[in-house]
Amino acid sequence: MLAGVPMSRNGLRLCSAVLAFAVFLIDALTPWEGAVAVSYVIAILLAAKTTRRDDIIIAAIGCAVLTVAAYGLSHGFEVIDSAALRASVSLAAIAITTLLALQNQTATKRLAAQARLLNLSHDMIFVRDRGGVISFWNRCAEETYGWSADEAIGRVADELLQTVYSQPREAVENTLIDKGRWEGRLEQRTKSGAVLAIEARWAVQYDHLGEPRDVLETLTDVTDREAAHAALVQSERRYRRMFNASRVGVLEEDWSAIRSALQALNLDKANIADYLAHNPDFVRSARPLARIIDVNPALQKMVGADGASAFRESVDKLLGESDRTFFRALVAFAQGDPFYEGETELVSLDGRRVPVLFTITFPAQSDGDRNVLAFVVDITERRQAQDALLAAQAELAHASRVATLGELTASIAHEVNQPLAAIVTSGEAGMRWLRRDVPNLEEVAAAINRVVGEGRRASEIVTRIRAFLKKQPVQQESHEIAEIISEAAKLVERELWKDHVTLNIEAGPDLLRVRGDRIQLQQVLVNLMVNAGQAMSKQNGPRIVSLRTSVDESGSFAVTVEDTGPGIAPNDLPRLFEPFFTTKQGGMGMGLAICRTTVEAHGGQLSAESTPGSGATFRLTLPVAQEHVA
Amino acid sequence: MAKTPVIAIVDDDEGVRTSLASLIRSLGYEARTYGSGTDFLERPGEDPACMIADIQMPVMTGDELQAKLVASGRRFPIIFMTAFPTETVRQRVMSAGAHCYLNKPAGGDEIIRRLEEALAGHTPG
Repeated sequence: MLAGVPMSRNGLRLCSAVLAFAVFLIDALTPWEGAVAVSYVIAILLAAKTTRRDDIIIAAIGCAVLTVAAYGLSHGFEVIDSAALRASVSLAAIAITTLLALQNQTATKRLAAQARLLNLSHDMIFVRDRGGVISFWNRCAEETYGWSADEAIGRVADELLQTVYSQPREAVENTLIDKGRWEGRLEQRTKSGAVLAIEARWAVQYDHLGEPRDVLETLTDVTDREAAHAALVQSERRYRRMFNASRVGVLEEDWSAIRSALQALNLDKANIADYLAHNPDFVRSARPLARIIDVNPALQKMVGADGASAFRESVDKLLGESDRTFFRALVAFAQGDPFYEGETELVSLDGRRVPVLFTITFPAQSDGDRNVLAFVVDITERRQAQDALLAAQAELAHASRVATLGELTASIAHEVNQPLAAIVTSGEAGMRWLRRDVPNLEEVAAAINRVVGEGRRASEIVTRIRAFLKKQPVQQESHEIAEIISEAAKLVERELWKDHVTLNIEAGPDLLRVRGDRIQLQQVLVNLMVNAGQAMSKQNGPRIVSLRTSVDESGSFAVTVEDTGPGIAPNDLPRLFEPFFTTKQGGMGMGLAICRTTVEAHGGQLSAESTPGSGATFRLTLPVAQEHVA
Repeated sequence: MAKTPVIAIVDDDEGVRTSLASLIRSLGYEARTYGSGTDFLERPGEDPACMIADIQMPVMTGDELQAKLVASGRRFPIIFMTAFPTETVRQRVMSAGAHCYLNKPAGGDEIIRRLEEALAGHTPG
């Protein structure tokens, strides 16, 4: 009667009191002979509905007092008769009911405490009967799904949560009944409509006959976890796609064995580079420890492999004998650098050498050393283009030298013809001394000596000019700067004299060396000096070319070539080094452009400055070669 | 016996200078050598019977030396020898009265022939 209608505590108390008073009136005022007072138990049960211990006790005492009072009013206390017996039965009924109600109330309290524990859970927990009607709904369920316990209790769970099962609903139910439990994935909706990914664990509660009665559902919201996992899967797929489709070669390597070997050395970071530099054996033994885990198709193609499985086990065979980058990568790894970049050659499976650029990235130590990734770009084509460019540059430089020598014909003719003249004249003189009536052998000997000496001189001149004209690949050698300057000066001094130009050379005595191509550097100096001379060939003032050397603060070596000519017009100055720019009549305009290219190819710079009216200064700087020769 | 003719040799190249001197001496003449035109102008002495001079010399070229000599009224035959002959210079020195203009390397016979001519007072022909 009361079960379906929820009623407040005060309502229950009022009902209980009204009922007790009605029973009292009937008991006391009507002449019915019966145990009317037994009806008080209904009032006590009503009070018990409040689940308050005090309410039960107050109701019990009240009912007992009313029973006794009604008996006293209608019968008096003098005679003990059947009415007294009936009152006693009523009092006994009240006592037993009270006792039972109190016991029941204790049990309810215990259950409530257990329910509160379920409220502490971080999982959603609810209890439903086999029809799905919810009878318990914990706090986490309230918070996650959005329905309060009052809203949820009495509703059918699957309808409320719009549950979607990954397998047929009956199959789930069958498993649940068979095994007493079920675990699986669900999709459910919250009150606000959000879809949740749920991990569900169901357990069946049996009644005293062993029949399944209620189902306890414990549910975990794994939406975030699933999203994170999905992102991870997506990221892995993305990486795989890059790995497989990229034209950049990728090597996945495991460097954990190298880490162990380095740790076994027991050196601190500051000393490790030094140790590795002095222990090439360690570096060599570390190469096979860099295990190759995977290689992408681009890299397989680069080294002519058919698949990742047939690939080399470590980088040892992949890197050529001449490789110097593994050492540097090892130092970077040992020092905890995040990556290292370099240029090296890979050895393909058929023994070809493949020039490559690479970046090797080392994961943070916490991520483990199994995840070292090397990205490799084949630069064969670039290298070929570079070689072709160098060849073209050498060709152009040669052409320019030929042109320069063309401008020096006066000097060259003079240079060659002078010793030849001396030889011919000495020979004639010697013959005459010999054919005298009394041959003067002393003079003959002197003449022959001169022939030999001048012959050598002529040959040296020819050699020098041939060397200057020789077409050869760019050499990379260390040269004494003073020597290059003096050779260049010899080539131009006649030319300068011809135009009445004085050449002052103020080169330091220090034996500095530069690395590069002797002829090309010589060509730069020749060009600068010839230009300086030509700039002054039409003026009346002093004609002086000064070549000075110095070493600047940064350790670079500088040569300045200064003239006392009219200078360079401010408009021309910025275009001076452009190809085909010339102010000379009949000039090709390549000289200075080639000079600058040459100097830059040697790691140096060539610049010009000029104050119109007071000459021009060309300044060429070159890095000093490291090896000093005493 | 007549005084031995003095031949002045002006050339900045020592090898050329020495070998010419030797050739001159082998003919029985006296050779005096000068490393430059300035050297010749600065050293006092009688005018030579003949001068053999180079054209391309630093500071003062052979034709400049000739011009200076002409300007100061010193006239004696000059045989020019050049390792890099040009028509302009040839015309200039010849019109200024040079005895001849030879290309280096010139044969000993030619040098001797020209020298004898000059000493005999012949005009070149």
